[in-house]
Amino acid sequence: MTAPLLEVRDLSVVLSRTERDLPVLDKVSFDIAPGEVLGIVGESGAGKSMTGVAIVDLLVPPLRRSGGTITLAGDRLDRLTPRQMRRVRGKRVGFIFQDPMTSLNPVLTIGRQLTDTMRRHLPVSRSEARERAISWLTRTGLPNPARVFAAAPHELSGGQRQRVVIALALCAEPDLVIADEPTTALDVSVQAHMLQLLRDLHEETGTAMMLITHDLGVIAKMADRVAVLYAGRLIETAKTQALVTEPLHPYTAGLMQATPAPDETGVMRVRAIPGSMPGIGAAPSGCAFHPRCGRAQDICRQTPPPLADAGGRAAACYFPLHREAQP
Amino acid sequence: MIIYTVGRILQTLLVLLVISFIAFLLVATLGDPLGILLPPEASLAERQELILRLGLDQPMLGRFLHFLWGMLHGDFGLSYRTQQGVGAMIAARLPATIELAFVSLLVTLFVGVPLGIVCGVKPNSVVSRGVMLVSIAGITLPNFVVGVLLIAIFSVQLGWFPSFGRGHTVDLGGWTTGLLTVSGWQAIILPAITLAAFQVTFVIRMLRTQLLEVGQSEHIRFARARGLSERTVWFSYAMRNALLPTITMLALQLGNVIAFSVVTEGVFAWPGLGSLFLQSVQSADIPVIAIYLIFVGAVFMIINLFVELSYPLLDPRLRKGRA
Ligand SMILES: Nc1ncnc2c1ncn2[C@@H]1O[C@H](COP(=O)(O)OP(=O)(O)OP(=O)(O)O)[C@@H](O)[C@H]1O
Ligand code: SF4
Ligand SMILES: [Mg+2]
Repeated sequence: MTAPLLEVRDLSVVLSRTERDLPVLDKVSFDIAPGEVLGIVGESGAGKSMTGVAIVDLLVPPLRRSGGTITLAGDRLDRLTPRQMRRVRGKRVGFIFQDPMTSLNPVLTIGRQLTDTMRRHLPVSRSEARERAISWLTRTGLPNPARVFAAAPHELSGGQRQRVVIALALCAEPDLVIADEPTTALDVSVQAHMLQLLRDLHEETGTAMMLITHDLGVIAKMADRVAVLYAGRLIETAKTQALVTEPLHPYTAGLMQATPAPDETGVMRVRAIPGSMPGIGAAPSGCAFHPRCGRAQDICRQTPPPLADAGGRAAACYFPLHREAQP
Repeated sequence: MIIYTVGRILQTLLVLLVISFIAFLLVATLGDPLGILLPPEASLAERQELILRLGLDQPMLGRFLHFLWGMLHGDFGLSYRTQQGVGAMIAARLPATIELAFVSLLVTLFVGVPLGIVCGVKPNSVVSRGVMLVSIAGITLPNFVVGVLLIAIFSVQLGWFPSFGRGHTVDLGGWTTGLLTVSGWQAIILPAITLAAFQVTFVIRMLRTQLLEVGQSEHIRFARARGLSERTVWFSYAMRNALLPTITMLALQLGNVIAFSVVTEGVFAWPGLGSLFLQSVQSADIPVIAIYLIFVGAVFMIINLFVELSYPLLDPRLRKGRA
């Protein structure tokens, strides 16, 4: 295996309170190889966005990184000064925000926002930046790129704006792109196009991608590997195919059943996991999933299960599913 | 855009017409030109003759048109108090008021904008907290109290600046200016600060609120996520968004500035339009009051129009599709 591009070890984030700090992320560890697409899934509030934001140090108080290391191609991001971090953002790690309606500056033209970003990170002249901006707008599939270049955000549709957001995230040619729910805010009809575009650009540029979503369908289409988050902890990670066909963690299996799918008779079925995920600071003792888990035993209620490595994949569960399928 | 501009200009003219009509009614119903223009012993025939000459027997509308016609030709009527032409009286006072407004605008921009930026970008710093504390005084203290306080400290106690008048003025072909002499500048400082006190605090608070709000916005987060420097983020990305509402609100405050200029000129015996207005009110000099109202209305409307028409330069959202 090649050396990972991004190595996250024991990343912890807390919500600072005067009385006590509440854990938001609890010792999350994962790797992303160069050119790999890692999907991050989990219910709303699981800590997916926090993970992405913490990597580029964009947490806003009262949220704060309380521990762990983040290594990008050998450089410890967690030790950088704010000034050094600003050289990493955009240039080495691009970030795609969820809502294209609010992500663009309403009073600056698209061209200005693109060229400012490129000229910040790349040694290009004004006219070169302009050419590249237009070429990025073309590559993201925008019709009439020269017009879009001169346009203000309000003149574009939601889908077009998200294409601009993608161009902005990629224009300084980062090695890693963090895409936080890049399609959630869009019309269903546009979502598929946007995923295809991300897929194409990923293949063209060879960037690695961290794709945050709560939609397992998106994961199945896009991701090489998946990491599942539950209540701020990483509870399972595996290759996409293995995770989808043989989930080890009961929560992962529950998530999959909660995705609408046809049963044997061809009828669409959804089986939601009973109960709801604990909010921050409200995680129960032991395995955070135990109140909702059908396989829970005493030990589950007492000690949190470690993320146990099992043949290239890992799950934090004492009684994993598909045991028998393991080599 | 052109249609829109023309429309707004016509609208402005219409409002000015209405203001003129109100001012005209003031003169027509409250004034007694015969009693003032004729000696008490004048005969009935003389009265009749003057009535005919002034057109007082005409219907109201005809007299209004006559009034408008006169204004368009520089005839603004005669002051009851001084028997001088109102136009000349206003022209003589105008430079003092314009210079005062100009210097107070400079104070507003050079004090208000930098402090507003500091308070918006670093809201928890010692400087910001201090500025916000002091600015409460600017908002709550009435204008004349600020003026009197400044006089008490800087004129009476310290003796640095005069407490009244314009100092030495120079006549530049009809425009008397105080900005070319040392004593003129000394004289204008206190009134300009007094007049600016409210606007400075207003600009600080507006900019602070706007910058704090914009600073939280998603597009600023995204700009940071692209590694743009803090300077670019604040000065080109956040400022543009914050400036627009600030300018709008400032323009809407213009009425206050005009009102405050009357008070300020009164406190500092500043020989401008404001004190002319005060003198005219005291002696019921209706023609001067009427023309002052029209003049203030015109200035107010024109500045508003100007601000509104310049928005598209700042905000591309307004550049298209508003024809
Ligand atoms: N500024 C904040 N103050 C307090 N709590 C916060 C703040 N931001 C996030 N949280 C909490 O942190 C937890 C993790 O949030 P995060 O945004 O990472 O969830 P997510 O997995 O991205 O969910 P979603 O699918 O809704 O985006 C949530 O419980 C959320 O309520
Ligand atoms: S550790 Fe126990 S409670 Fe937690 S998921 Fe596994 S079986 Fe369920
Ligand atoms: Mg999220």
